[in-house]
Amino acid sequence: MPVRIAALTRQHRPLLKGFQNQHASLVEYLQRYALRHAEKDLLARTFLAIDRTAGGERIAGYFTLATASVERRSVSAMEALDRLPQFPIPAVLLARLAVDDRAQGQGLGRFLFEEALGLTIELARTGPVAFRLFVTDAIDGAAVRFYERFGLVRLADGYPCRMVLDLKPLVGG
Amino acid sequence: MSRFQAQTNAVIEEELDDLRERLGLRANQRADLLREIASLASWVVRQAEAGRSIEARRGRDVEALGNPLLDRLRERRTAGVAGRIALRDSEVERLAAVLDRGFSPTPALRKALSRLAATKRRPPKLRWRDDAV
Repeated sequence: MPVRIAALTRQHRPLLKGFQNQHASLVEYLQRYALRHAEKDLLARTFLAIDRTAGGERIAGYFTLATASVERRSVSAMEALDRLPQFPIPAVLLARLAVDDRAQGQGLGRFLFEEALGLTIELARTGPVAFRLFVTDAIDGAAVRFYERFGLVRLADGYPCRMVLDLKPLVGG
Repeated sequence: MSRFQAQTNAVIEEELDDLRERLGLRANQRADLLREIASLASWVVRQAEAGRSIEARRGRDVEALGNPLLDRLRERRTAGVAGRIALRDSEVERLAAVLDRGFSPTPALRKALSRLAATKRRPPKLRWRDDAV
């Protein structure tokens, strides 16, 4: 049976502890915060890639989406501001994307990214609200290269590295 | 000035004077004291922003620095689902360049969009590395 995508609910709780990733923060988010953010705080929604194996169901990967508002830290005048929409700019934040270490290198990360982008574009096209940017914070150099392939551009040089994609051409605005 | 504010200020003044004396600064070195405090506080906040906790250790005695504001900062870092993204000026410049340029999708984005448009889109069939052993 192929991988299926499902929004995280408390029914998935027994599966969470089996997830493994080289970045402890990505494991910690899934096991400690994701359900709370989805069901209690309504801050973000997490989607799981669930694989049925001989040993039962496993979480092969996940991604988390949230809304965000992109603002400026300073209020000083800037020439670039003339070329930008007025701040704050509404955005969808790909807050997390991770694949279990034991299932990496088989295209699941790309599939999850496409799923996240697809949901975002659908919401931007048909949802009741508008937003302009798709934003993520790449955790390391490998993540930056992964997102750059899909046209996301780095806004900073350190890590986590903030990256953006302009949604306007994708939603036909 | 309200009575509450006056009392609070008096307590703070007393604490600052106490700190000044313990740090060996004279009464006319108030600015130096505030500068030192600001630099210490900014180090503490930087550690919390980086998701680190601060502990005082002597032998087996360990005392963690507890503060609700710092806890909130630390949690924001580890949980990190930020509702508000504040850009520096250099990031604003880069964002302007991104929004300025015309639509020229990368090959991977083009493929992703065409896969998303397809009615049948299949996830990969996975082979788990621990299954293979």
